[in-house]
Amino acid sequence: MNEPILAVRNLSKTYMQGKIPVHALTDVSFDVEKGEFLSIVGPSGSGKSTLLSMIGLLDKPTGGSVLIDGIEITKASEREAPRIRREKIGFVFQHFNLIPTLTALENIDIAMRFARVPKGRRRERAIDLLEQMGLRERMNHKPSELSGGEQQRVSIARAMANHPAIILADEPTGEVDTKTRDMIVGILKSLSEKGQTILVVTHDTAVADRTSRIITMRDGSIASDISD
Amino acid sequence: MFDLIIKNITQRKLRTGLTVFGISLGIFAIIVMGGMSENFNLTFERSISLTADKIRVMPEGGFFGASLNESKVREVRRVPGVADAYGMLQAPLDPENLGFFGVDFVIGIPPEKQQAAMKDTELKGGRFLVPGDGYRAVLGSSVAREFNLNVGDEIEIKSKRALRATSITNIKNFTVVGVLEYTGSFFDNSVQIPLDRAQDFYNRGNTVSLIFAVPDANTDPEELTKRIGLNVERVTTFSPDEIRRQIEQSLIIFSLITISAAILAAIIGGLSVMNTMLMAVSERTREFGLMKAMGAETRDILFLTMGEAAFMGVLGGIIGIASGAIFVNRMNEYLAARGTVLFAITPRLLVIAIVFATLLGILSGTYPAYRAAKMSPMEALRHE
Repeated sequence: MNEPILAVRNLSKTYMQGKIPVHALTDVSFDVEKGEFLSIVGPSGSGKSTLLSMIGLLDKPTGGSVLIDGIEITKASEREAPRIRREKIGFVFQHFNLIPTLTALENIDIAMRFARVPKGRRRERAIDLLEQMGLRERMNHKPSELSGGEQQRVSIARAMANHPAIILADEPTGEVDTKTRDMIVGILKSLSEKGQTILVVTHDTAVADRTSRIITMRDGSIASDISD
Repeated sequence: MFDLIIKNITQRKLRTGLTVFGISLGIFAIIVMGGMSENFNLTFERSISLTADKIRVMPEGGFFGASLNESKVREVRRVPGVADAYGMLQAPLDPENLGFFGVDFVIGIPPEKQQAAMKDTELKGGRFLVPGDGYRAVLGSSVAREFNLNVGDEIEIKSKRALRATSITNIKNFTVVGVLEYTGSFFDNSVQIPLDRAQDFYNRGNTVSLIFAVPDANTDPEELTKRIGLNVERVTTFSPDEIRRQIEQSLIIFSLITISAAILAAIIGGLSVMNTMLMAVSERTREFGLMKAMGAETRDILFLTMGEAAFMGVLGGIIGIASGAIFVNRMNEYLAARGTVLFAITPRLLVIAIVFATLLGILSGTYPAYRAAKMSPMEALRHE
C-alpha cells in the first residue's frame, strides 16, 4: 500500500470552557490516500470543524498527530507553519472568504505571492485556473460583482494555486443554491479524478453521497467510515 | 506587495484622507514652529559671528537704563592687550511701539569705528559714516526695506524723555547716506548714526550703553576679558564665548517651547494614524486570518499593515512640509515688507520633519500591525 497522503493518529482536542474541559475530539485516527475525495459529516458539535482546523494547521491538538506527505505538521513550530500551509494545504470556506478589495485574478495571485512565486508565473497560473473554472471572462471582477457560485469557484482556484497536497473544504456548498451546489461538487469531483486529494466537511447528505468515502463523526469520535 | 498597500489605502479614501490630514497638520506645525526657532538661531548665530572678535563691556548691574561714562572707554583702551575700544549708544527707533520681533533700534557709533564694529559688512548703496557727519544715518537693510528708504531720503527718529508724570517726545530727521547689505543679523534692524549726535539727541551727555573692546592679535580674549574686569571699576565684562553661551541658553528655552508644541501636534497626528490602523485591522480581521491560512508569513502581514501606516505618515509628511514651506514663504514675504523675517527652513529642519513623519507613521502602525500578525488564523476566520 502507498504511503497515505494524510494520516491522522489518535488526535485529541480539549478546550477549556471557563473551568469545564470540553472534549471536542477524542482519539481520532484515519488515513487518506492520494486522489481520494472524502467527506466528513456529522451533527453540529460533533467535532468535524475542529478536526479540519487541526489538519489545516489552524489550531493545535492537545494530543496525537497529523502527518501530510509524511511530515508531522502538528509538530511544526510557529515559524514553519506558514510554509506548510502554503505548500501542503488549500482551503475552501463556506463564506468564500475572498478579499473584497481584490479582483478574482488578484485573489488567486495573492496566495502565490505569499509563496514567493515570480509575478509572470503567478499570472499565468491564475489565468489557467480561472480558465479551468470557466471564469476567464470574470477575472477582473471583484467578489461583490460575482455570484455565490462564481465566488466559490474563485476560492477553489485559489486553494489549487500552490499545488497543495490536500484541499480542505469547510461547508463549501453551505451558502449556494442546489444547482450551484451540484456544479461545485462536480468541480471538486473532477479535480479528485485528476489526482487531487480533497476533504469536504459538510452537513449536506447530497454532497456527501457524491464523495467516494464518508466519515461520520459523533461526539468527537468517528462513528463510521464507509467507502464505496 | 506595495500595490496591495496602495489598494487598501485608496479603498477608504475619506478615512485615509483625514488621517493624512492629521499628520500633515502636525508636520506643518513642526515646519512653522521649527522654522521660527531656526530663524532665531540663525540670526543670533550671524550676529555673534559679526561681533565674535570683540569683548563687551557693560555697565555693572545689567544693560537696561544704566550707562557708562565715556571715560571708561579710555580706561578699557589702556588695559594691556586691548587693541582698540569704542563706546556705542543704543536706543529703540520707535520708543512708543516696542514690538517683540525684529525691533528696530538706533545705534550711536563713532563714525570711524563703524566698519570695524560689523566686521566685513558691505554697503548696498551710499557710504559709511565719516567723522564730522551731522544728522546722517546708515540703515540696516530691513529698516530700509520697511520704510522704503534709499540713499538721500530722510528718516524720522523719535526720542522720549520722561519728565515727572509726562514725557516729551523729540523728533528729528536724519539724512540717509548709506544702506547696508543684508546680513541676517541684528544689524539689519539698525539705524546707525554718529555717537555724538546720538548723545545729544537722546540727552545722554557723555555716556554710552556698552563698549566693544578688540583684543590684539596675541591676546587670549578670555584672559583679556578678566583683565578688563579687574582693571576697570564698576563694569561687567562678557567674553565672546560667554555671550555665545548666554544667548544659546535662552535660545534653547525658546526652541524647547516651539518644538515641543510642534511635536505635541505631530503626536496627535500619530495617534490618529494608530486609531485608523486599529480600525482597519479589526475590520480586516477575517482577511488577515485568511492570509495566514493561505500561508502568509508574519512578516507579510507586518509589511502590509506597517507599510500602510508608514505610507500615510510619509504622505502626511510630504503634504505638511509642502504646505508649511508655502506658508512660511508667504509669511516671510509679507513680513519682509515690514522689515522683519520670522522663519527659516533649514536642511536640518527638513530632515527632522521627514524623519519624524515616517517614524510617527511606523511607530503608530506597530501596535495595530502586531495585533494583526499575532491573530490566530482560526479565531480570525470565525470573526464576524
